[in-house]
Amino acid sequence: MPLFGKKPASKTTTVFFATDVHGSERTFRKFINAGKFYNAQVLVMGGDIIGKMAVPIIQEGPGRYRATLQGRTERFEGEEALQALRERIGTLGFYSQVLEEGEFHELAADPSRVEAMFHDLARERLESWVDLAETRLAGTGIKCYVTGGNDDYPDVLQALHRPNAEALVACEGKLIEIDGEHTMISMGFSGPTPWKTPREIPDEELGLKIEEMIAQVADPSRCVFNFHDPPVDSTLDTCPLLDWSTDPPTQIVKAGQVVLHGAGSKSVRKAIETHQPVLGLHGHIHESPGATRIGRSLCVNPGSEYGEGVLRGVLLNLAGGKVESYQLTSG
Amino acid sequence: MPFDGRLVLEENLMATAAATPEVFTRKASGLVRVMSPYSAFIYNILTMGLIFPWTYLWAPGALPGGKLVWGILLATVFEIPIAFAYVWLSTALPRSGGDYVFQSRAFGGFWGFTLLMSGFVIWILQWVALSGWLLSYLGFAPLFLGLGATTGNAALSEIGVWFTGANGIIITSIVNAFLSMLLLVSGFKNYVKVQYVMFYGILVAFATTLIVLFTTPQAEFVTRLNEFAVRSGGVQNFYQAARDAVVGAGIDLNPPFSMLATLLVAPIAWTSLQWATYSAEQNGEIKEARSFKNQVFILVGSLIVTGILLALLAMAFERAGGTEFVYIAGAGYWSLIPEASISGFNLWPNILAVALTASPLVVLLIAFGYILNSFQIVNNCYIGVTRIMVAMSLDRLLPEWVSKVHERLHTPVNAHLVYFLASIPVIWAYNKVGGWIGLTLGVTFACGYVFAATSLAGAVLPFRAKEVYDASPGASYKVNGLAGLVLMVIGAAAFVWTTWEFAAVFAATPILLWLVRLLGLAAAAGVFYMFRGQLGGWVRGTAMPWVTALGTAGAGVGFAMVVAFLLAPQLGVLGNWDFSNLPSSLWSQIIAFGILILSAVWYFAAKAAQKRRGINVDYAFKEIPPE
Repeated sequence: MPLFGKKPASKTTTVFFATDVHGSERTFRKFINAGKFYNAQVLVMGGDIIGKMAVPIIQEGPGRYRATLQGRTERFEGEEALQALRERIGTLGFYSQVLEEGEFHELAADPSRVEAMFHDLARERLESWVDLAETRLAGTGIKCYVTGGNDDYPDVLQALHRPNAEALVACEGKLIEIDGEHTMISMGFSGPTPWKTPREIPDEELGLKIEEMIAQVADPSRCVFNFHDPPVDSTLDTCPLLDWSTDPPTQIVKAGQVVLHGAGSKSVRKAIETHQPVLGLHGHIHESPGATRIGRSLCVNPGSEYGEGVLRGVLLNLAGGKVESYQLTSG
Repeated sequence: MPFDGRLVLEENLMATAAATPEVFTRKASGLVRVMSPYSAFIYNILTMGLIFPWTYLWAPGALPGGKLVWGILLATVFEIPIAFAYVWLSTALPRSGGDYVFQSRAFGGFWGFTLLMSGFVIWILQWVALSGWLLSYLGFAPLFLGLGATTGNAALSEIGVWFTGANGIIITSIVNAFLSMLLLVSGFKNYVKVQYVMFYGILVAFATTLIVLFTTPQAEFVTRLNEFAVRSGGVQNFYQAARDAVVGAGIDLNPPFSMLATLLVAPIAWTSLQWATYSAEQNGEIKEARSFKNQVFILVGSLIVTGILLALLAMAFERAGGTEFVYIAGAGYWSLIPEASISGFNLWPNILAVALTASPLVVLLIAFGYILNSFQIVNNCYIGVTRIMVAMSLDRLLPEWVSKVHERLHTPVNAHLVYFLASIPVIWAYNKVGGWIGLTLGVTFACGYVFAATSLAGAVLPFRAKEVYDASPGASYKVNGLAGLVLMVIGAAAFVWTTWEFAAVFAATPILLWLVRLLGLAAAAGVFYMFRGQLGGWVRGTAMPWVTALGTAGAGVGFAMVVAFLLAPQLGVLGNWDFSNLPSSLWSQIIAFGILILSAVWYFAAKAAQKRRGINVDYAFKEIPPE
């Protein structure tokens, strides 16, 4: 066997997979451009696309603002500075809202209004992303498949389902023909987490949902399983064990040390072991990027560094029901 | 759900949300990492190696008139800007594989791979062998020799002598490396547990050594040393015999102060202190690694603490026996005068402390501390290098199986195994091949160019990876451009002066002399050329990123010390350029540059091999334009 592996087949489909951008404007823009940049025909976004924090920009007077970012309260003047801050906040994956002092205090006192604000801001950003994808990918032949993750609000994800969209496809729950010989099914739900996120379900239920989808697949060996939750104990799911009884959850420490464990899904693992797809695309655990094989199936998790504006991904060359080669990227 | 170890930024923000009312968070997943900032701080102190002994004997032996304490403090000051550059880089890119990630981001894959593959992955094999030598020679041997001397048991002394022989050191070194591999593949958390034991054990040993050296009455010094020499099988009246031999060899025991010699002590002390930033290799495992305050504590704090401790040891060493003794001990090491060593042992500070005490308990405390630190050093080799190897493998520049992580153990077992196997021939050569041990400080040269290049990567970060820098917590720290330029010029001047000064020592012909000097000038000019778009503004006082000023200054002094290692014969074999009997007279330089060339060739070969598979290695380093 050659040191760096064998030569590729002549006809391949190049897939670029990224996940867990969590609202980051910059990483999503990179993701959309990745098709042309990497010569990939297919883009797949694996879920957790909604941001988790909103930064109120408080107007203190005409053209004067303050905002708390990265632990520091900054004061600035002028529309140019305001725009720069909003871009910075967007890069970090957060939302921003300009508020009067009084508005801010009213909002802060009403959790239901804060929740509604999150939904509005997330929907607005997702809609702008669909616009971006449709504009930039028009005429390129590049398809962009997007699914939600466990952190994403179901109602907000509806923004992905645009009837006339040509390039961007909301792929969750659908059987997708990637090319002439490979298909893909997608599942954005995860097993239970200590954070009680919007789209988590018991692992057994997750298994049933997965089996329902697999039942639609004619040849699982040529199918890509795009499942947000990684297979348990696969090295793609290693993270510290957490105490679920505290809010927020805390690390479990034994003998002064954090205990690590595999936090993935048993059902996902069972599905891969049983059906042996050509490829498993996973995310969910940001700090456990890598690639591994479960039987013949290559499973990958590119990890995520959305907060730095870095798009982590995996380039995969598919041909004849096999992954001919793959490469982790950090773009 | 990000159980996200990477986004410590988010940890900070979440924490901020709890502390201040002016952000809104929704119910979403959080994130955690394994290694606490305090553990990383300890890790760096241990990596700098409180037990590394060279400064105390090499400096007085090779650099008469140089002041040990000043040299150590100078090295600490020289390292500070480098450590700060790492603070900015670590908070901007808190990922495992630190130096490799930083350099490949700032300079591209070729430089990142070539410098790290040569400077770390290959050269640190020599450090694996060194740690075995330290364990055997400065750990087990003094333990048994000291116990033999204090209890009068000859068998213990014989065991001690076995640990000083080549076979004893080779066996000890391989067992040392093997045990480290087993510990680390069993899980990083297991290592962190052991690290605490090592840290406190070493602190106790270090404190014991200091106390013995500071409290031994000077009037009793010679008597106690002579008694130890006799008990260890040495001659009667050892001190006088050693003094006579050293003076007879023409060595001045009271040389006048020399500024140049003091400056050259700094690169030797840098052998320890340059490792202040090694925790950057596992930034991906450090909790709140993106916190500026934490990284200052981890990187700069550990440097200052270690610098002070090493300077204290130098003071204690000199105080115990006086300046004359320091030169005698140095001559035993540097000039190979056998009368100035006891039973083949040079009078390193720990050996001296063992010699000056009659207590077996003190011997045990000191010896166990040195044993623990030696073992810790081999762990450092594996921890840092295997993470870099995994990062290189993920970038497709090393074979795929190198980065395979064990499902149950969650560790890159293959990377550890490969590194262990690669270390065995180096361990053998270190102890069996004549002159090989002289390459030990080639590691300081090689790792030195890695650290200095990373410092430069920090300087260009705001311009080469602007978005990453702008999103980092250090982005708001700016300095007046003119003041920053002064710092940059100081660094460049240190580099140019060193090149200029030592070119004269190195060069056999005027052409070579001026070639080296002009290359030094061109390199310094090249650095400023990288900032050509900003220089005008900085001259007018436009704000400059602090990391640019400190990174350039750090790179300047760092590369100055690298050049000193390469050109100054007082700093070891790389500085001895003898063109009279090529190629054998330049074997160490051929090895050093051969490793660099081999690494560069490997990069292009791996890139070509991957291209045939449809993989463009450059994609691993290129940023996708967002617009």
